Amino acid sequence: MRSRIHWLALLAAALFLVNGCAGAAVLSAVPIAATGITKATQASRPINDSEEYYVGRAVAARILGKYPLDQNPKLTAYVNEVGQTVARKSSRAQTFRGYHFAVLDTPEINAFACPGGTIFITKGLVRTCATEDQLAAVLAHEVAHVAHKDGVNSISKARWTQVWTAMGAEAARQYGGVAGNLITLFEGSIDDVFKTIVVNGYSRTTEEAADQEAVATLTKAGYDPGALSQVLDKMMAKEKGASGGIFKTHPPTSERLARVKTEASGAPPSKDEAGRTRRFKSITG
Amino acid sequence: MPITCKKAAGVLVALGLALLILGPGTGWGETLEVTQPNQYLYPDPDFAGTPMGAVPAGSRVQVIRQAGDWYKVNYQGMEGWLNRQAFPTPQAGSKFSLPGLLFGAPVKETTSDEVALAGKGFTPEVESGYRQKHPELNFAQVDRVETFKVNPAKLDAFIREGGLNP
Repeated sequence: MRSRIHWLALLAAALFLVNGCAGAAVLSAVPIAATGITKATQASRPINDSEEYYVGRAVAARILGKYPLDQNPKLTAYVNEVGQTVARKSSRAQTFRGYHFAVLDTPEINAFACPGGTIFITKGLVRTCATEDQLAAVLAHEVAHVAHKDGVNSISKARWTQVWTAMGAEAARQYGGVAGNLITLFEGSIDDVFKTIVVNGYSRTTEEAADQEAVATLTKAGYDPGALSQVLDKMMAKEKGASGGIFKTHPPTSERLARVKTEASGAPPSKDEAGRTRRFKSITG
Repeated sequence: MPITCKKAAGVLVALGLALLILGPGTGWGETLEVTQPNQYLYPDPDFAGTPMGAVPAGSRVQVIRQAGDWYKVNYQGMEGWLNRQAFPTPQAGSKFSLPGLLFGAPVKETTSDEVALAGKGFTPEVESGYRQKHPELNFAQVDRVETFKVNPAKLDAFIREGGLNP
């Protein structure tokens, strides 16, 4: 009996050593797999950063099915520089795979924040901006939507609960492949987000929160926080006779404009705006 | 005396099995190399926090513990959290099925797809299924957009030149 116990001890130790003696291990396939089953039977949790990223990729793919990418590398690089400058001062400086900014080749005036950090601005909206600070204001507003996870928050709670049910079923089936059900739920989630950011827009309170954060971000970055109200002013002027697009998803109402002006009023003056405007004009023509 | 010996052997069995169950992977005190660029140390295991500082690719960090997709690490005397995206994906060959080892059944390798599926709802595999259903969508362009990055030194120069706050 004793020798059998010794043998078992040796076998267990040998298996551990063969497997890789890494102290008290913290990551392995088996515990993760087991955790998957446990988690799936627990109450639903919020969508995590990598899931948000994959939702964002699919939403971006749908947007790029509607609008082509602008092919001007200088403009793309510049928009990314301005975008990264504000993103690093936002309340969510880093996302799962980082922020990326791109220009859509359309005269429409619009901007979209895909979950996870891919942000699109149309050429029409770039042209609506007169200064770098105004461009930064638009991008800071979109970054705020990413920071607040507004995109993924538009996935219906009922659908996310179904995702959890599907995950539980998959885990219990010993991971026999990706279920069509999960793909269908993913598809529905993309529809939820796409409809919100491209067709219907966010609620007024969500927009207000994004404006408020954009003003704070512009101030932290050193841009003129009043630039957001300047862009809204321009949009209001263009809105006459226009409908749909950004005028539906980000309505530039007079109340919104007044609130943004108030929020920006106490900020310190921005330095060297003229120099930034010069480089904006050198890129945008 | 024989009882003590048996007890000691029992403890050894338990210890061996416990270590086996905990399995392979990144251990306490183990040093890992950050292989991906643009990685940051966070005060909490959450991207929503303000980063404590950058951890450049090629840096070596000491793992303290793990929670989900996050590793608590020590980097140059600073303790913080790094997401698993900073490190290389574990080799498929290091994964095994515990029931197979214990009970003699054929060892079933758990693929990375399956592990991901167990812990996450929307994964690369789900995206792959979605792409098959929607071949009209332009994921190649999405991949292209994800290559739009700004070199940190260039960004610093851009900020300085514009009179902005670093």
